[in-house]
Amino acid sequence: MKQYLGNKNAIVLFLAPALLLYSVIVFYPIIQTFYRSFFEWDGLSEASFVGLDNFVKLWGDPLLSTSLKNGFLFALVLVVFQIGLGTFLALICADVTVKGRKLLRTAYFIPVVLSVTVVCQLWLAMYDPDNGLINKIFHAFGLSYSQNWLNLPESSIFAIAFVNAWQYMGFQFALLYAGVKSIPEHYQEAALIDGAGKWRAHWYITLPLMRETFKFCFVICITAGIGAFVQMLIMTNGGPGTTNYTITFMIIRNAFGANQYGYACAISVLLVLISLIVTIIINKVFDERREEAR
Amino acid sequence: MKNKLRFTGLALAAIVAFSLTACGSDKKNEGGSASESPAASASPSASASEPSASAEPTPAETVKLKIGARYFDDDTKLPYDYAIAELKKEMPNVELELVPSQQDDNQKLKTQMATGDLPDIVDTDWSLMQVAKKSNNLLVLDNEAETATFKEQLNKGNESKLIAPDGHVYAYPYAGIEFQILYYNKKMFEDAGIALPIKTIDQLKEVSKKFVDKGIIPLAIFSKEKWIGNALLKGFMTREEPKGYGVLNDATEIPESLKLAAGQIGELQAAGLFAKNATNTNYDQASALFYQGKAAMFINGQWEIPNAHKNMGDGVDWMYWPAKDEATYESTKFAMNGQGDPSGFAVSGHTKNKEIAIKVAAFMARKYAEYKFTMVGNPIVSIKIDKPAQVQMPKMLERLSTEVIPNITSFAEVLSSPKVGLAIDDNSQNLLVSGFTLDQFVKNMNQALKDK
Repeated sequence: MKQYLGNKNAIVLFLAPALLLYSVIVFYPIIQTFYRSFFEWDGLSEASFVGLDNFVKLWGDPLLSTSLKNGFLFALVLVVFQIGLGTFLALICADVTVKGRKLLRTAYFIPVVLSVTVVCQLWLAMYDPDNGLINKIFHAFGLSYSQNWLNLPESSIFAIAFVNAWQYMGFQFALLYAGVKSIPEHYQEAALIDGAGKWRAHWYITLPLMRETFKFCFVICITAGIGAFVQMLIMTNGGPGTTNYTITFMIIRNAFGANQYGYACAISVLLVLISLIVTIIINKVFDERREEAR
Repeated sequence: MKNKLRFTGLALAAIVAFSLTACGSDKKNEGGSASESPAASASPSASASEPSASAEPTPAETVKLKIGARYFDDDTKLPYDYAIAELKKEMPNVELELVPSQQDDNQKLKTQMATGDLPDIVDTDWSLMQVAKKSNNLLVLDNEAETATFKEQLNKGNESKLIAPDGHVYAYPYAGIEFQILYYNKKMFEDAGIALPIKTIDQLKEVSKKFVDKGIIPLAIFSKEKWIGNALLKGFMTREEPKGYGVLNDATEIPESLKLAAGQIGELQAAGLFAKNATNTNYDQASALFYQGKAAMFINGQWEIPNAHKNMGDGVDWMYWPAKDEATYESTKFAMNGQGDPSGFAVSGHTKNKEIAIKVAAFMARKYAEYKFTMVGNPIVSIKIDKPAQVQMPKMLERLSTEVIPNITSFAEVLSSPKVGLAIDDNSQNLLVSGFTLDQFVKNMNQALKDK
């Protein structure tokens, strides 16, 4: 090993393929996106340099506030449902006294392997205002509470976010379950001997020790929420109107609908920056907590 | 050691990134600016042909051309196959290689333009032409002999299908100016005791209430596709303003005609004209509602007629768009909401066989129109066809042919701003949902008109 680390040629040789691939697929497009965001460009003709005009325009775009609000609401639903419920289920499945936990573990993961289109179609049928399962359940219980779930401007984003949350909860669950299992069992045993209840022991021992796992889960959930797109596209096509738009939807609309690739690049830059800032904040918050715990 | 590794990694990444950026720059320069390109001169078609003029083959040589055309269902495959069979008879030395276009808002064609792989001939529309003309990807056909012939053959009122709003010819059209109509189930109307025709918005509101009371959806609309809501709004607007959305090209704020039409849709929505789930309903679902007798009316283009006839026989007919009052209904009955935006077969600005490609493009457009008229019985084609229709025309098409087409007073005009078009798409869809007010519509549209 030492011999390899001392050999610079070997380091370059082994790093180069991955680095090249990363540069071509990730780094170069990001650089190009930043560069193109300073131009007025329709994707084909000669681009003209407009400086920060695209960003100024973006600041005044009424769609931005709708998209940002939807992105953060989407992220909130993912955090509450996927991390909140995922943690609870992970703790249950890690408990050796719970019967059928292997079956539960598999069941929670099944939606993850389904096609997103299939899942969206399933929920579209369930949300149908006239014949959908959800409204029918209310009717069956004699309740008049039936909703036009996907058409209500104030709540449709929650209905859509829930579909993503439901489908990918199993993924977060798998990460969190692995996090729980990585904690040595004798910590828990010691707490129980000292008289702590099971949930109290989880609160004071298991959860704080899962900090790194939570950090990763939060980053995934929040960045996925801010950049959400597929569920909106399939279920409502961003509508009614632009009610369910997110930043990604804005990018698609401007690049492929309005032929404003330069402006779309500026929106992409904003998305990248927001995701980066959110990731930095999450890292900071969790690192500070770790320092406090010490 | 750690620092050296870090430095090596960073240096390598920087070299790769900068070398790739350099590649990108070269590519950009090759394209050249619109003003520098020879094809951007007053007669771009001539300029574009100059480098390849000497490469034109003699008539006996086999010429291979690529053609980008839609080819995925009977509507698109059969006219293509017909035109190809005719081409073999007329120009046996021409071989066409099909590069199928996708239903992807022209993304494939735009990519082909960007990479220089655009087929020699391409079936295009106005939105693509606007991008392509700026980047010199299409020939301007103004001075071609085929264009002069095409102009002579055009059906009355179809000039805007050939001549773009900027006054140039970029493609040879085969379709005529298509428009949207309201289909209705004759039996359901009869059973409900509704007198026809429905001439006013107030009458349509009453009809909506009657059907809602009977548990029937008054109008099935596939508004998950935003263009149909846009067409609905234009249908009502054209009753007040025959130019339709064309008036928005110079407007800086919403005209009264559009405001009135939006208000009318709002009132109809409140009267229950649309299903609760209208904005999440796709074409298959909406048409099934109509054809299965769960909806009394259906909105789509006149191209739906063969399908409607196949599903319902003589049990279906179409009606004119209602207006604010009977006088307006009568006076604007034949102002069609369809807009004559240019479309059809265009020729790549980079083709090596310019003369032949132009001839083939015009030929294909003529044969497509011929097929649609003679084999489908569709009278809405761009040019006059001197052959008789070989199929029995559905009654609804016959009505269109005899009652409407000879009496058309005007067609709506093309809206040139894609941005305003998107705003209409969004806001017309909003009108189908309760809670969206006319004030919001006006505010949103004024903003879009200001920013266009």
